[in-house]
Amino acid sequence: MKILESQNGLLSNYEVYQHLVDQQKRNKSQKRRVPGNLATLRTEVLTYLREKPSPLAQQEKTGAYTPAAIIQLLEKIQQENFQSDLAKGELLSILNIRPDSTALLSTVVEDMEERFTEDEQNKLVEIIVETLGRDDFPAEAEDEDAMQSIENGH
Amino acid sequence: MFILTKIADLVQIAPEDFGKQSHAAIEDNLNAKYANKVVQKIGLFICLWDIVWTSEGLIGQGDGYANVNGKLTVALVECRMVVFRPFKGEVIVARIASQTRDGINLATDFFHDIFIPWTELPEGSEFDSQEGLWVWKVDEQEMFYDNNEMVRFQVLSEEWHDQTPSGPLDMADQPASELLPPYKITGSMKAPGLGCALWWEE
Repeated sequence: MKILESQNGLLSNYEVYQHLVDQQKRNKSQKRRVPGNLATLRTEVLTYLREKPSPLAQQEKTGAYTPAAIIQLLEKIQQENFQSDLAKGELLSILNIRPDSTALLSTVVEDMEERFTEDEQNKLVEIIVETLGRDDFPAEAEDEDAMQSIENGH
Repeated sequence: MFILTKIADLVQIAPEDFGKQSHAAIEDNLNAKYANKVVQKIGLFICLWDIVWTSEGLIGQGDGYANVNGKLTVALVECRMVVFRPFKGEVIVARIASQTRDGINLATDFFHDIFIPWTELPEGSEFDSQEGLWVWKVDEQEMFYDNNEMVRFQVLSEEWHDQTPSGPLDMADQPASELLPPYKITGSMKAPGLGCALWWEE
């Protein structure tokens, strides 16, 4: 083996998740058996990514992460014209962690207090929740839908 | 947390795999070789991402193996692999595996060599030797680092230990239990927002 480029690019957890899920589906439909080491590791990585507090825990149900949602997130952040730009690594961490509070946001954004005003921090959290969702919300929405259908239909 | 690494490698497809599509045969071959393996200074290989380029296959004399041969003297398939390699300063989630006076051992489902030294726990942390757990005492409140709890931590540094065997005579002095992990991550849970995920839920 020869390493041509040790880091050709960064992958978000969502991309890895989608890659593994697609691979699993493809193998199943083709009835193809993959090498044992891969099958084990794939299960382990997917278990990890589907475990709370991972934002992908409910991905199968909510489908909150989509390529469009990620583009929307990046565009919205750009439109806000914050006084400081977020680094690539910080944006990647925002995608992977999906901080829903400023306390959590401070772990992924370096020197957050100095670089962003309080309003900006809150706005950023707001954008994240708006574009990438939040796991407790859809569950409530489903309940509401169910309630409505009961009210309307029966 | 994950990166793409571009590699070139010789792929040998055994005659019994000729029934597979060549793409599938190459994919299986690379995955069987690399999935769940640590490559020094690169990271833990997860699986194939995509194949960039392959050469024509050549049937070798004698064994019937088809070498997918490259234009260089080494035979090549160029491909990109998904690799687990969190960057320095990255915040990731893991589970508390075990604890000692020296610190807390963390694990993810697929990677087990993560260590948080006691110096990297927030101020006011103490080891409860009766329970065998670390406790964070803040505002007269005791917060326990329970085993199996999900925590967030920040990557501080990484250690690499090449496990290439050094020969039977040298190996004799060194018991197998002392083998160091090939890839070890040291982290911190000092900053606000880190530590047990439950503590920071609103």
